Amino acid sequence: MKLDTTLLAETPEGIDILLRPAGVVARALAYALDWGIRLAVFIAAMTAIASTQGASGGLGAGLSFILYFGLEWIYPIVFELLPGAATPGKRVLGLQVMMDTGLPITPSAAVTRNLLRAADFLPFLFAFGVLAMLLRHDFKRIGDIVAGTLVVHADHVRLAGALPEAPPLAPRVPLTRAQQVAILHLAGRARRLTPERVDELAALAEGVLPPPDAALAGAPPAASRPGPRLLSVAQWLAGQR
Amino acid sequence: MAMTPRQFEARYDPLWDELERGLAALDAGGKPRRLKAGEFPTEVAPVPRPARVAQLYRQCCEHLALARERAYPVHLVARLEALTARAHQRIYRRHDFGLGALRDLVLHGAPEAVRALRWHLLVSALVFLLPALVVGVATWVDPQFALTVVDAHQIREFDKMYGPEAGEHLGRTSSDDWQMFGFYIAHNVGIAFQCFAAGITFGVGSLVMLAYNGLLLGAVSGLLVTRGDAERFFSFVVTHSAFELTAIVLAGAAGLKLGHAMLAPGRLTRTGALMQAARDTSPVVFAFFVMLLVAAALEAFWSSAGWIAPAVKYGVGGACWLLVMAYLGLQGRGAAAESAR
Repeated sequence: MKLDTTLLAETPEGIDILLRPAGVVARALAYALDWGIRLAVFIAAMTAIASTQGASGGLGAGLSFILYFGLEWIYPIVFELLPGAATPGKRVLGLQVMMDTGLPITPSAAVTRNLLRAADFLPFLFAFGVLAMLLRHDFKRIGDIVAGTLVVHADHVRLAGALPEAPPLAPRVPLTRAQQVAILHLAGRARRLTPERVDELAALAEGVLPPPDAALAGAPPAASRPGPRLLSVAQWLAGQR
Repeated sequence: MAMTPRQFEARYDPLWDELERGLAALDAGGKPRRLKAGEFPTEVAPVPRPARVAQLYRQCCEHLALARERAYPVHLVARLEALTARAHQRIYRRHDFGLGALRDLVLHGAPEAVRALRWHLLVSALVFLLPALVVGVATWVDPQFALTVVDAHQIREFDKMYGPEAGEHLGRTSSDDWQMFGFYIAHNVGIAFQCFAAGITFGVGSLVMLAYNGLLLGAVSGLLVTRGDAERFFSFVVTHSAFELTAIVLAGAAGLKLGHAMLAPGRLTRTGALMQAARDTSPVVFAFFVMLLVAAALEAFWSSAGWIAPAVKYGVGGACWLLVMAYLGLQGRGAAAESAR
């Protein structure tokens, strides 16, 4: 079963681009932030209008209606078409809107997804939108489904770093591709784990690791633990001989 | 012997760095990076030209495919993934945001998209206008009938706006023109957007909204005609209704198109049909949005001006109706025939 929520989008160059759709919580927080920003802008503008116009200005009231309309419908469209492709709330949370093909968002898609927020809002408080997001593995609300857009985490997480330095050691037996991948993955994440945890996980691969006495002469005794031996195998797989 | 991950990284790392520099320069708008204190221009790595960036991007795609296929260490694959994703976003960015696309949309895109919806338009117009007609006539025959649609409070409001005591300015004083302009934009465009979006409920939402607004229209017109305010009312609405009523029918038709795609997706999946319908109707959305803005401006500043003789308003209003119908019905037909050939 696939646990993570990543999506692959194929490009014309024949490679797959990894997209990480944003879930309900991140998007709800972004919406709440945007709502706060819009409210603050509206209140600030109202205060400014009231102080310059007095209470009776029809012009001020007219401007307030237009501002309300702009903040409600135009604000998200404009910000999603700017470079960065996200409303300020989404920017704070590191989200970005794009087409589900991995391409930048098109104007008509931005309009469609934001107008259909009205459909997502039905029957109350975005119930349809949240339901759609919870039911789908790519967390699209109705507007996203229709417009073919996706809200993704823009930043790439780096769980794995460079392989830690270790003297290379050949594995006990030739490894299959899957085994090589598993060992390289674990070695790449070794810096984020305690040495004890690395030992614990590396012990699962004891069958293919070189025997403890294979550690190089003169190495400290700790080098014979499963973790350091696995790192050595990883270095060997990476090509250090 | 196959290349090991270390050799691979050592050999191509300069290319990846170059691509990163190129992308950073493009993000910065093509301006060269500011030198840090104590740095000489010769120490700064050269920034690749945009054409070179495209070439580097294709090479990186190749490297990513190789790295994945050969199960290279995760940090290598992850770095290439991030790099290609970033370059992909940058390279496939649309560059035609400008006036050219807008001109095409106005000259033939929007009216063509409207004409492609002719059956939805017919249904939308009927669902909107039939209730208006029926309620209008019923109210004309028996004014009490209006109370079944609108409540007494709303009727008093309309009376205040169009009734005999409404004086020189129809509906309000001139200082309120701006206020009403803003109100019409926020209110009418919002209703039209909702009318469109509600179509996703298999069209039911759009039908309900169309019929309800038709009922209101019929009740108000019928009531005002029976009270003898017919000229006042019709001279008020004739101009902006050309844009406003048409726009509501367009919004309803676009919503019905979405509902139609949900009900009868044809040979596509439901989602696919819905996406297709949304693409087909997006020029219509643009059209009714602009028309409602025009209607709001006319309604606020022209329709309400009491000093303009009703005859003038009827003339201008008629011309507006002709203009709107001619634009939606005829504009861009030549271009369509041209591209079909």
